[in-house]
Amino acid sequence: MKQFWTIFKFELAGYFKNKIFIGVTVSMVAALVILIFIPNIVSLVKKDSGNHAEETMQDSDNENKSIMLISSEDDELSAMAQPAFASAFSDYQVKTLNEPVETIKQQILDGSAECAFVLDSASSYTYYVNNLSMYDQNASIADMLLEDIYRSSAMAKKGMTQQEISDILNVQIQGRVTALGADQMKNFFYTYIMIFALYMVIIVYGQMIANNVASEKSSRAMEVLVTSAKPNSMMFGKVFASCLAGLFQLTVIFGTALLLYRFNKSSWTGNEIMDSFFNIPPYLLIYMLIFFLLGFLIYAFLYGAVGSTVSKMEDINTSVMPVTMVFLVGFFVVIFAITSGEVDTPLVKVFSYLPFSSPMVMFARICMSTVPIFEIVLSVAILIASVILTGILSAKIYRAGVLMYGNKPSPRQILKVIHKA
Amino acid sequence: MNLTLDHIQKSFGDKEVLKDISFSAESGKAFGLLGRNGAGKTTTIRILMNVFPANAGTVFLDGRPIDYDHVSFGYLPEERGLYPKKTIIEQLVYLAQLKGLSKKDSVASVDWWLDRLDMSKYRNKRLDTLSKGNQQKIQLITALAHDPQIVILDEPFSGLDPVNAMLLEDVVKEEIAKGKLVLFSSHQMSYIEEFCDSIAIINQGRVAVTGELSAIKHAYIRDKLVVKTSDPQPILQDFGDMCSKSEQGDLLIRMKSPDDKQEVMKHLVENYDIDRVSVFEPSLNDIFVEYAGDSK
Repeated sequence: MKQFWTIFKFELAGYFKNKIFIGVTVSMVAALVILIFIPNIVSLVKKDSGNHAEETMQDSDNENKSIMLISSEDDELSAMAQPAFASAFSDYQVKTLNEPVETIKQQILDGSAECAFVLDSASSYTYYVNNLSMYDQNASIADMLLEDIYRSSAMAKKGMTQQEISDILNVQIQGRVTALGADQMKNFFYTYIMIFALYMVIIVYGQMIANNVASEKSSRAMEVLVTSAKPNSMMFGKVFASCLAGLFQLTVIFGTALLLYRFNKSSWTGNEIMDSFFNIPPYLLIYMLIFFLLGFLIYAFLYGAVGSTVSKMEDINTSVMPVTMVFLVGFFVVIFAITSGEVDTPLVKVFSYLPFSSPMVMFARICMSTVPIFEIVLSVAILIASVILTGILSAKIYRAGVLMYGNKPSPRQILKVIHKA
Repeated sequence: MNLTLDHIQKSFGDKEVLKDISFSAESGKAFGLLGRNGAGKTTTIRILMNVFPANAGTVFLDGRPIDYDHVSFGYLPEERGLYPKKTIIEQLVYLAQLKGLSKKDSVASVDWWLDRLDMSKYRNKRLDTLSKGNQQKIQLITALAHDPQIVILDEPFSGLDPVNAMLLEDVVKEEIAKGKLVLFSSHQMSYIEEFCDSIAIINQGRVAVTGELSAIKHAYIRDKLVVKTSDPQPILQDFGDMCSKSEQGDLLIRMKSPDDKQEVMKHLVENYDIDRVSVFEPSLNDIFVEYAGDSK
């Protein structure tokens, strides 16, 4: 136990003295500061340039805008369409023009107008534009405008008053949505962010542990270590130290984010992502912590064991590949589940019990659905048992692996070693 | 303190690395563990230090099976290496703590040793900034800082310049004088002869010979004569197969039996031009070649 603490402290100090660890943490925090204060920065810049440019802006208001042409042989239609288009396309200067189609096309090609709607009737038109952008919404906006024009003129023909027409067209629907279980709209963002954080931490720290073990082996420090410390102390000391370092890093990053958000909450009112993320129910944070710890440990043990079977640093990437693959399968299942919103399909349910994916999948289900408590307990129990089993197993692999030099052992050899140890 | 290995056997998979290893070492003396590359020295040391268990056989300390919780080892492995990116003091204190010292005692002991080995100026330097010889001195501290009862040094002199080698010699002599059991493994026979009272030569997983060095030398069969002559040709012609060359280039004649000594000597002196003839005294090197060579 004394050895465990010595190793634990040494490894932990290793993380906190590691320049990359410090650098990543500091730059993450810096990025968060910038992110959280973006609205303030944006409004500051706006106000600044606004003051100088305000007078000239008003004069050149119309000249700066691109020109949209509306053309129709029906003068009445043009007259009705122009104000409607002008208010809907506020980015454009909307002009009516009664010229042949060829002239209009020419104007667009030579750049004197950007686009044009040639209206045959209220229910038929041609949209001309030089280069059609992927994001061009003009035609669908025009559809809606023309629908309104068509309907109101049709209703006017039937003898309705302007008031009656506008009442019908502008009816307001009063709707209220109450989610009795989990509200996926609201939970999506924080589920996504937390799953992603879990994914990043496990993958990054797993690799670090594998590297750490392999480098002790390749530098031959292992020769002294195996005669100084018990393999169990080594394995558990390393894994728990990295676990604490990871937890610390997450806490610092999310803690800073939360603090800054509290401080700057007023600038973010009405932003759904931020609202969702910073109003995570506390019980979910506790689940997050449980699944983080268990998920981290199970993978840290695996990565550590794999690291101990490698004798050359060059081999480490190919050796950790199978572990990373297993992890990625779970990750893709959970990402697919939360983006599709279907977190209770049989497949997702199965993955929420498998120990190598349950930390992410069960957490996502808890966030985005209503999971019976016994299912959570069962999943966590399976996970805890698997963590203990993986820990013991990985210490055994470690004990045998650290003194194996030379060629990379085959999976069969590793199994033999586990069996013997 | 007496350390005895009793019929140790060890296999890795189908490969039988140690077939039968037995020897006995006393504290206050240095014991030499000799053998060719791959003979099983490192495996023997690892079993002795409980890195992995033997398949059969027992390690005894003072007549009882060794209790690893109550005995401390210091080990300088042949494959050197520590943490290249960490400072000297940081890793030495860590390793001393792993051996059970408190933090305070570790720092004190490491500082004492750094001073003893004239390495204090590197205290806060990173290991990879040191030369190979200096790194080796640092590694020696990991074997000694926790004041172990049994010190195992595997090729301690390789890579050291003559000044550092002398410093290490002094340190080893001090440790022996302190009453420690020092186990030496080396291919440099001169050092073994200088330090070790007893040796064991391991050959292909078996102890070929073990005991006090003087007794082994004395028991070495005295059936060879060293002949100093300026004209060896006639002797080579007449004695044929019985002749060989010594390390120094002298002519060696192996007799059919040690009892033929007088007769052969007389024959040589009377019939050939001879400067000197004497009975061959084996060096440790000869004994090593004899017991660890391929023929045996």
